[in-house]
Amino acid sequence: MINDKLVLFLIQNYDDVLRAPLSGQLKDVYSLYVSGGYEDCIKDLGSGQESLLQFEKFWDDLKDIIFATPKSIQFEQNLLVAERPEKIIFLDVFSLKILYNKFHPFYYALKSSSSSSDMKMSSVTPKTDSGEPQLLGRLLNVLNWDDNVKNQGLPREQLSNRLQNLLREKPSSFQLGRERAKYTTKVIEYIPICSDYSHASFLSTSVYIVNNKIVSLQWSKISACQENHPGFIECIQSKIHFIPNIKPQTDISLGDCSYLDTCHKLNTCRYVHYLQYIPSCLQERAHHDTASQNKEIESNVLTPFYTLGNCSAHSIKKALPAQWIRCDVRKFDFKILGKFSVVIADPAWNIHMNLPYGTCNDIELLGLPLHELQDEGIIFLWVTGRAIELGKESLNNWGYKVINEVSWIKTNQLGRTIVTGRTGHWLNHSKEHLLVGLKGDPKWINKHIDIDLIVSMTRETSRKPDELYGIAERLAGTHARKLEIFGRDHNTRPGWFTIGNQVTGNRIYEMDVERKCQEFIKNKNNSHNTGTKKSDKKSNSKFQQQQYWNNINNSNYRTEIKQKNSNKNQTGFESTQQQFQTLNNLYFAQ
Amino acid sequence: MPSHDSSFDQTRSTHSNSHFQSPNQVTTEMKSKHVSFKPSRDFHTNDYSNNYVHGNSLPQQHVTNIENRVDGYPKLQKLFQAKAKQINQFATTPFGCKIGIDSIVPTLNHWIQNENLTFDVVMIGCLTENQFIYPILTQLPLDKLISKPGFLFIWANSQKINELTKLLNNEIWAKKFRRSEELVFVPIDKKSPFYPGLDQDDETLMEKMQWHCWMCITGTVRRSTDGHLIHCNVDTDLSIETKDTTNGAVPSHLYRIAENFSTATRRLHIIPARTGYETPVRVRPGWVIVSPDVMLDNFSPKRYKEEIANLGSNIPLKNEIELLRPRSPVQKAQ
Repeated sequence: MINDKLVLFLIQNYDDVLRAPLSGQLKDVYSLYVSGGYEDCIKDLGSGQESLLQFEKFWDDLKDIIFATPKSIQFEQNLLVAERPEKIIFLDVFSLKILYNKFHPFYYALKSSSSSSDMKMSSVTPKTDSGEPQLLGRLLNVLNWDDNVKNQGLPREQLSNRLQNLLREKPSSFQLGRERAKYTTKVIEYIPICSDYSHASFLSTSVYIVNNKIVSLQWSKISACQENHPGFIECIQSKIHFIPNIKPQTDISLGDCSYLDTCHKLNTCRYVHYLQYIPSCLQERAHHDTASQNKEIESNVLTPFYTLGNCSAHSIKKALPAQWIRCDVRKFDFKILGKFSVVIADPAWNIHMNLPYGTCNDIELLGLPLHELQDEGIIFLWVTGRAIELGKESLNNWGYKVINEVSWIKTNQLGRTIVTGRTGHWLNHSKEHLLVGLKGDPKWINKHIDIDLIVSMTRETSRKPDELYGIAERLAGTHARKLEIFGRDHNTRPGWFTIGNQVTGNRIYEMDVERKCQEFIKNKNNSHNTGTKKSDKKSNSKFQQQQYWNNINNSNYRTEIKQKNSNKNQTGFESTQQQFQTLNNLYFAQ
Repeated sequence: MPSHDSSFDQTRSTHSNSHFQSPNQVTTEMKSKHVSFKPSRDFHTNDYSNNYVHGNSLPQQHVTNIENRVDGYPKLQKLFQAKAKQINQFATTPFGCKIGIDSIVPTLNHWIQNENLTFDVVMIGCLTENQFIYPILTQLPLDKLISKPGFLFIWANSQKINELTKLLNNEIWAKKFRRSEELVFVPIDKKSPFYPGLDQDDETLMEKMQWHCWMCITGTVRRSTDGHLIHCNVDTDLSIETKDTTNGAVPSHLYRIAENFSTATRRLHIIPARTGYETPVRVRPGWVIVSPDVMLDNFSPKRYKEEIANLGSNIPLKNEIELLRPRSPVQKAQ
């Protein structure tokens, strides 16, 4: 009995069988045949004994075919060595097709032309032979590529898919890291945005707005809407809605204001503006849910179930409070700060624009001794326009490799990307670039927890999204030393050191940094001969620091810090004022 | 001074509070029936990166204007429709030129030298790994292939663009082709045919979810005076995969950006890569597509030149579009 499926296999995969890498090797051809799913019974490739038997059967089937159509399959002449040849060197597709048509009449429409040219045609696919409908089907299959097709194609295609899936497989460290991040990262309140526009228009008719502020809702109208549109009230209770703030001057046909909630002419602008509406019940529920989730997460942190890439004292260590130094970064001695795992820099690149803040020129930025800040670690560098190239160049000069590029997709109040106005020179700009540089080969990095996109609302000019801090903390761990250069007051946060000329005063908790900083000031003072009341301020900051470390030892530092803060506000503030004034005098006098 | 001891999320909410303050705040509880719907005072923003870490959807899926980018802006909607209509009207037959990667440079050289073919818009590359862009850029006399003014778009993954930076930043190159924008294409999820995957770089720190394009201008165009050649600020430098995106090597967004920007009708796309059977290279009206895997092989220089002679080398000015499109000075944006 002839195995017609094997005949079909040989016809369809004529080219693959004879060409490299298979090159007609009988055992490999057998593997391709098995993996191709031509026969349902042969599934197990791995189990030795069984597959050997099946290979015997495969060989018998081949012999049957040769018996039926002599010379249709030709082997390498090597019969002296083994009784079974190892290599197929020729397949006569034409006669195989005749054979196949015996079982499935008219499956292949055979032309009377010479068989040699026909063989060429049928090399990869039976396209010319199998008639129009099948050709069309195959073309459509190519266009509508999906999972169904993936499991049906030729053995070659199936193998390629398997290979691709194998390559796509991620290291378990990525998976474990992601899972750990899921169970140990604090949840930030999340409320989805409603995507049903009709809800916004229903709400706009039932809402009472005074002074650009939602005051109350008419319950009767809402329940009327609920009757016509079931699910409306549930949606209100679970999602954010943006309600048009229609005013006498509003002309709805003009569409939405480009500036929306940041519009300066709210009382005259004729475009549509919106108000965010979240019922307080929803907000409270979000608060509550998040708090309970975070409680669980806090307890998760205490059980170190997967420790790779974590610091050894991860669960018991408390994060350092925010620290900052006001200084001119261009003239600051980075050696004072020590080494960091993560650095964020948002330089004011000079890109020929009139910005409400001073910009540094390229040479100054390139000249910054950033190579001193890390032996190994990650740097995030915000770049824009022309500075993309400059930034990449600088990173290379500082010893980093540009390993990722993050895009910040800027959204507006309504969660839309920014498409209006003229926000770029040639095209409008809906995103900003963040270069990620890597130095050395740190083992403590938790890779592939986040993706290289940030979707976040724009805020004040040049203010960058806070999402980055979370991403950096997940990459390097919460206890890693982290530095932000060119930071402002809103950038200071626990666990981070911020330097820049726009932060207010100084606050240093790490004693060695404090000492080096004082030395730096002292040296500068000596060289500049500007004697200020140094001893006074020094003793005061010493006092603050002492108190902080005492608090740490007492292990209830959270409350103490607050005390210390209030203390500082009363007594310490003057001294910090003095201190940064001194620093300013020093840096800006040069 | 902000409160420094508050945790990350607290600082966020305190900040946002200041956005949304009003003197006549409703402090008293409203009627019991209304209580649960009383508007909250806090302005809420979501942290989609945090949300993703907790096992939820990808950040880009929360952009609310993916399917209709100009949602809420009727004037821009009209502009996009008018432009699409006109571009379609002034498009050549879709042409494909199916040749092996090794024959791309000789073929194009032949077009330049013997057929006197030049193009105003040239796009190189598609959304696959393993592209042979470098040899194309170094071996091809691109300045002869692209007329002046002309526009060059190079699409690849960001790593590849990085590698090309050195070449594209050298003095000779940079003089001819001024780098003008960096475009980004974002697939919507990990099942997308445009999801870059892990290919070749498991050393990256974050998972890749984007493709980059290096857009260059050669020759001089001014955005204020050359409205017959370019329409600036129509599209943005970011495209997100839409539901109607058909699978393939090149999502239509890539073509659309080039078409909306330049009014030229002579457009060439070179794909120096095998894209494989699962990512077909489709043809597109108005474009000549050179690729080893393009679905049509119907290009003939003679026929192309005839078609261009009939169409004209630029799409003519149209009043409707001129009134709608964002213009340079004086006029206020919106």
